[in-house]
Amino acid sequence: MNIRNNVVLRQKLAAEYVLGTLRGGARRRFEGWMHNDADLRNIAAAWQQRLAPMAEFAGDVVPPRSVWTGIERRLNLKGAAASGLKAWFSESLTFWRSLGVVSTGLAAMLLVLVLSKTGVESPSINYVATLTDDKAQNALLVTADRSNRALDVRVITSAQVAADKSLHLWAVPKAGKPRSLGVLAGNRGRFELKDSAISDDVTVLAITLEPKGGSPDPNGPTGPILYKGNWVRL
Amino acid sequence: MFIDVKPLDPQQLKTWLTAAGKRDATAFRHLYDATSSKLFGFALRILNKRELAEEVLQESFVAIWNNAATYQSHLAAPMTWMATIVRNKAFDHLRRSDVSVEIDAEQFDSEIMNALQDPQRTPIEALQLSGDAKALAWCMSALEGLHRQTVALAFYHDLSHSEVAEHLKLPVGTVKTWIRRSLEKLRTCLAKREQV
Repeated sequence: MNIRNNVVLRQKLAAEYVLGTLRGGARRRFEGWMHNDADLRNIAAAWQQRLAPMAEFAGDVVPPRSVWTGIERRLNLKGAAASGLKAWFSESLTFWRSLGVVSTGLAAMLLVLVLSKTGVESPSINYVATLTDDKAQNALLVTADRSNRALDVRVITSAQVAADKSLHLWAVPKAGKPRSLGVLAGNRGRFELKDSAISDDVTVLAITLEPKGGSPDPNGPTGPILYKGNWVRL
Repeated sequence: MFIDVKPLDPQQLKTWLTAAGKRDATAFRHLYDATSSKLFGFALRILNKRELAEEVLQESFVAIWNNAATYQSHLAAPMTWMATIVRNKAFDHLRRSDVSVEIDAEQFDSEIMNALQDPQRTPIEALQLSGDAKALAWCMSALEGLHRQTVALAFYHDLSHSEVAEHLKLPVGTVKTWIRRSLEKLRTCLAKREQV
C-alpha cells in the first residue's frame, strides 16, 4: 500500500501510532514506512507533541528521596570520573537484558529494504542488527559479510552528532568488556570484520557517544550509550 | 491554597537538558527537581503501584541522562520528550512483568477532570500545567466526556480499540470512530490556538 499521497490517512495512522491504538502488523508497517519517509516521521513527532502533554493531567506527586539517590548511584554522578566504565557497564547490562528480541523482525525487514537498493554488489549478509534509541526509533543498520570480512554500518536517523564527538561501535559480549568495532566518520562506515565481533558470546551491538575519534580509553567506552540492538545471525 | 510554583518554563528545561547532554550533573539535578513530581504523578497513574512507579521513574531519568545528548528541540518540547520516555518505560514494565493493572475510573487528577468537564467553574488557566498542557486541556474540554475518556484510556493504559471498548462496554466500531474524530478535533483545535 502506498500512503505517500494520502494526506488524511498519514495523519490518522500517525495519530493512532502515537496514541498506541495502532497495533500488530499495521503498527510494524507504519514503522517501516517511517524509515524512509522523513515527512511521516515529522508528522508522528508532531502528534507526540500534541498528545504527550496529557501526561501532566495525572497531577503532581512528589517522589521519595530514594529515587534521586538511586539515580545518582546508578549513574555514578558523585564520583563520575573514578569508575565511569563500571557504572556504564552495569547500567548497560540492565538495559540490554530488557531488550528482548522484538527488533529481529524489523532488522530483517530493513535488510530487505537496503538490499533492494544496492542489488548490484549483492554481498552475502551473515549478521544484521538494527540499533535503536531509547524510544525504540531505528538509528543505525549494521550488517556483516563473513566471506568478504566486512562490517557495514549505515546511519538511518536524522539525529546529528556534534562536531567534537564521534559515534563508536561496540560488540557487547555476555561477560567481559565491550569490544571496539570501529569509529564512524560519517553516515556510512565500512570496517574489517574481526572474529571478536561475531563470536558466539556477542548478542548485542551498541553505539556510544565519544570524543572525536572514539573512546580515549583503550579498554572500553567512556560516553553514554545512544543506540543498541540485537546482533542477529541469519 | 495556591503555592507559588512557576509553571515549567520550556526554555529553562531545554537549557538544563542540553547541559545534561554535556554531562553537567548539576543541571541534571535541576531538571529532576523541576519535573520529577509531574513525571512521577504520570507514572503512578499508569502503574497504580508506588514501588513500580518509583522504579520506572528512576529508570526513566537514567535514560534521560544517557540520551540527553540526542534530544532534538525542534521535534519535541523537553516535557514531551521526557514524558514519552516515562510512558514507554512504564508500558515496557507492564508488558514484561505480566502484572495486570487496576484501571481507575478516572485517569486524570480530579481538579483537572473538573476543569475539563466545566472550564467555567474551574478555569484551565489556573491549573499548574505547562503551556502545552493547558492548550491540550482547553481542546479536550471541548470533546464530549465519553469521547475524551476513550482517548485518555488508550493513552494512559496502552489499550487497543477493542480493549477500550470492552472497558467502557461499547461496540468497538463506536470506539474507533470516537477516537478518530477526537484526534481530528484535537489537531484542528490545537492548530487554531497556535495561530491566536
